[in-house]
Amino acid sequence: MSGEPKILAFGCNWCAYAAADLAGSTRLPYPPSLRLVRVMCSGMVHPNLVLEAFNQGADAVLVMGCHPGECHYRDGNRQAADRLAVVEEMLTMTGLEPERFALVWCSSTEAERFVEAVRRMHQTVERLGPSPLRAPAAPGPEGGGKEAEGCG
Amino acid sequence: MRLRVAGEWLGSCAGCEMALLNLGQTLLDLLPRLEFVHLPVLVDHKYFGPTGAGDPGRLDIPAAEVGLISGHIRNAEHLELARAMRARCRVLIALGTCATHGGIPALANQFSDADILERYYRDGATTDPAPDPDDPVLPPLLSRAFALDEQVKVDLSLPGCPPHPDQIAEAITALLEDRPPRLPSKSVCDTCPTRREGKGAVGQVRRSLRNPDHQAGQPISEMRCLLEQGFLCLGPVTRAGCAGSLGEAPRCLVARTPCRGCYGPVRAAGNPMLDLLNALASNGLDIKSLPDRPGLLRFAGAHGRLMHPSRRAAVR
Repeated sequence: MSGEPKILAFGCNWCAYAAADLAGSTRLPYPPSLRLVRVMCSGMVHPNLVLEAFNQGADAVLVMGCHPGECHYRDGNRQAADRLAVVEEMLTMTGLEPERFALVWCSSTEAERFVEAVRRMHQTVERLGPSPLRAPAAPGPEGGGKEAEGCG
Repeated sequence: MRLRVAGEWLGSCAGCEMALLNLGQTLLDLLPRLEFVHLPVLVDHKYFGPTGAGDPGRLDIPAAEVGLISGHIRNAEHLELARAMRARCRVLIALGTCATHGGIPALANQFSDADILERYYRDGATTDPAPDPDDPVLPPLLSRAFALDEQVKVDLSLPGCPPHPDQIAEAITALLEDRPPRLPSKSVCDTCPTRREGKGAVGQVRRSLRNPDHQAGQPISEMRCLLEQGFLCLGPVTRAGCAGSLGEAPRCLVARTPCRGCYGPVRAAGNPMLDLLNALASNGLDIKSLPDRPGLLRFAGAHGRLMHPSRRAAVR
């Protein structure tokens, strides 16, 4: 595939981001394709943000939060699961593979689980190839027709 | 001097031109200041000269200050017309939701062309054999259905299916007076007088098989919000305007039915399906229980919002 894959992750401050920190301090290697954004809670990640990431050329998006029942804000991760079901639906509508998105629960001590999730998504992207939204639209029979992708 | 107006229709139904005629008295007031130089739906005008003796390689569209285009772009002919209009008009207006967001025809984007042609032209049960749509005399299809602004620069968008005559009048008057037009920018809910009592425990969306609770003869403002009654109303994610400047309530609401979303998204780049599903999911509704989810994009399927994988491949 052309170029290094780009995986964007939204990690919850209390669990997943701390797990990433732990992975770093214990020197666990994981693919450099990851771009990690710290959010206060997985429940605050609007589906718009995820689709915007795809529109900006991300090959995959991960949303990472605390295990069910362990949310710092009681039920933010449950809300995240409800809302992000919308993402899967939207990816199918726009002709993208739903595997490019995943919701991952991992606690602040589970550095291996964090690393494993990133590795697995990296492999998925390598298998699927770059996101079709990233590939520049070739000037086809429509001439200079631009492919404006109007989500979000 | 009169303002020269050119009109053209691409993949559309002529409903937008009907809306133009529905200007009524306003049209009579405006007419002395307008000159329609090209409008094939209503006035005969040949593309290659009156006898067809013109240059067959060049569409003869007279120069105009204002161009009105209704309909979406689906085939090579639409694209050629749209480009010719762009070249000949100083201000180009996308008239109607097909032109601004793809409209109903862009629902085709969720299927592959092969499927559509097979099902409707080759495999469909019929008593009259019809020519195969592969006939070279027909203009070739593009990779998908496009809104106008995906292919040519658009100066002003007037969504609506059809746009309310008040907004067409406002756009034309604003151009005559050389000022920016004042067009609706809020959501249908902002213009809806129904009674809101707070988000209820709507566990499941009701199909429109039964009328909403209301008293016949009572004004719309006496009826409870249809979304709160459990109907899938697209009001929150749809641009206002269907009621015109003097209407009592959004048009579908007047008929006691939920908003269908015909004005397209509130913000031009918004995604009605994403926004509504997110709102429903945040309220604890299982979105998988909704039948016909792509139907939430029934008026806004262009701009890549609806895309069958085969169409993605064609773009690649």
